[in-house]
Amino acid sequence: MMPKGYINDMGAVSLEQTSEQLLGKGAKTLIVNFADVQYINTIGVSIFTGMVHKTQEHNSVLCFTNLKKVHRDVFEMMGLIKHVKVFNNEEDALRSLRRRESNAE
Amino acid sequence: MLNKKLDLKRLLFSMASLVDLGQEATSSKDLSAKMKAALYVITGMFSVPTAALFVYHPQRKILRLFVEKGRRVRERRVNGIPLLPEHIKRFRMNDPHTLRDMAESAFFVLNKEVFSDLQTTIFLPLFAKGDFVGAIALGRKLGKAPFRQGEKDVLRVIAHQMAITLHNARLFLEVAKKAAENKKLYSSMHQIYQDTIQAFATAIDAKDEYTKDHSYRVASYAVAIARELGWKKKDVEGIYIAGLLHDIGKIIIDVKVINKGATLSTPELTEIRKHPQISYNILSKIRFPWKNIENFVLHHHERLDGKGYPDSLKEAELSDGVKILALVDAFDAMTSDRPYRDKLPVSEALKEVTRCKGTQFDTKITNTFFNVLRKELNGEVKEPHILPHLHNLDMSKVKALSANSDM
Repeated sequence: MMPKGYINDMGAVSLEQTSEQLLGKGAKTLIVNFADVQYINTIGVSIFTGMVHKTQEHNSVLCFTNLKKVHRDVFEMMGLIKHVKVFNNEEDALRSLRRRESNAE
Repeated sequence: MLNKKLDLKRLLFSMASLVDLGQEATSSKDLSAKMKAALYVITGMFSVPTAALFVYHPQRKILRLFVEKGRRVRERRVNGIPLLPEHIKRFRMNDPHTLRDMAESAFFVLNKEVFSDLQTTIFLPLFAKGDFVGAIALGRKLGKAPFRQGEKDVLRVIAHQMAITLHNARLFLEVAKKAAENKKLYSSMHQIYQDTIQAFATAIDAKDEYTKDHSYRVASYAVAIARELGWKKKDVEGIYIAGLLHDIGKIIIDVKVINKGATLSTPELTEIRKHPQISYNILSKIRFPWKNIENFVLHHHERLDGKGYPDSLKEAELSDGVKILALVDAFDAMTSDRPYRDKLPVSEALKEVTRCKGTQFDTKITNTFFNVLRKELNGEVKEPHILPHLHNLDMSKVKALSANSDM
């Protein structure tokens, strides 16, 4: 998933819904790329809190990539960062994912 | 030092969140969207994935789920959770209640399943101006950490804000409901008013066996002209009422005089000419919601040349309403059977109206009357007001006459 711009209103709830649909279809890993995200407020935090919760319920993994410092600080302060895997970029996340899959085999 | 920095960051984040909450609570969205956004702000502030906002219905004594986040409260709870006043009395106003606080509460014990569905750890009762308006149930935090004292303080601020928003919304809904009830009442009274006036019109027309439905036709023709002149809806309604009641004074005139077949004697003529003044005397006692009804009625037998009655007014002293009634009253008299003569064919009546234009009838009003008639004959009017009352039309002559209305 690659949200864009401001995540500060109910329009962004679709992110939560999309993740729920993907998890419902059996997705084991969700990657959110924050490269184009400019601003996250409490509504945004609530949406990502919901995504974390749902991935935990489905025993799946939520990955955040391309986080700007300001966003990382917010997630850290709110205690979200402990529940997600953070990568510098999507390639790193995918590499780690493949490594994990090959180890599992 | 590190903790202090984090505390400051948290404080700033809480302040920014309260600003977000204020913006959502006062936004122009509908209440449900506003409350859902506010619930997202609250859950975001504390990293809580599940929460629900309930609204209290005092008449039914139930707490009804209004908006929720993260977990569906079971369908069977949609009809509301019973909540009695004695339970409400035990709530601390706008103060977060932990599970431990609620353990002894009969309300919580009875509804354990609902709160368990929501994984409730905090129950926040919302009070505005002493009235219980609803409650927020907050689920567990992501890390399952308990709410700290500072966070509970923030929750108190939130509770006040949410309670006021709900309270205001309730007041607004009550006002809207009252306004709708008043509108309905007004509409029903308006109907009674109209019905009463129509009953009067029927009574007036019943007195004169030759002019049955005369008042209805006068009212209808007057509406056609007023609309064509672009009058406002309320003024059109006013001229309609004036048309219905213009002859109300005839109720007092001796029926023998009204229905006399032969030419009237001077005293009889004097008697019958009293009816506009009597109409005025009756109607001026009524506070109509429409302007000038009694004046329209008083002067509907006046003429532009000052030869009318009762006041022999001249053109400049006559309002458009009076001029309309004067024309349509005379036109209907011409096209109705009278005790002393048969009705005129419509084309003859139109010729007579044209002949009297500028002396008895106002030119603008007469032209407008012809104009509407022409439009009705050509099918250009959705709801014709003149044509349905005219019978045995000598169509080609009438069409030709109405087409030359400006001559």
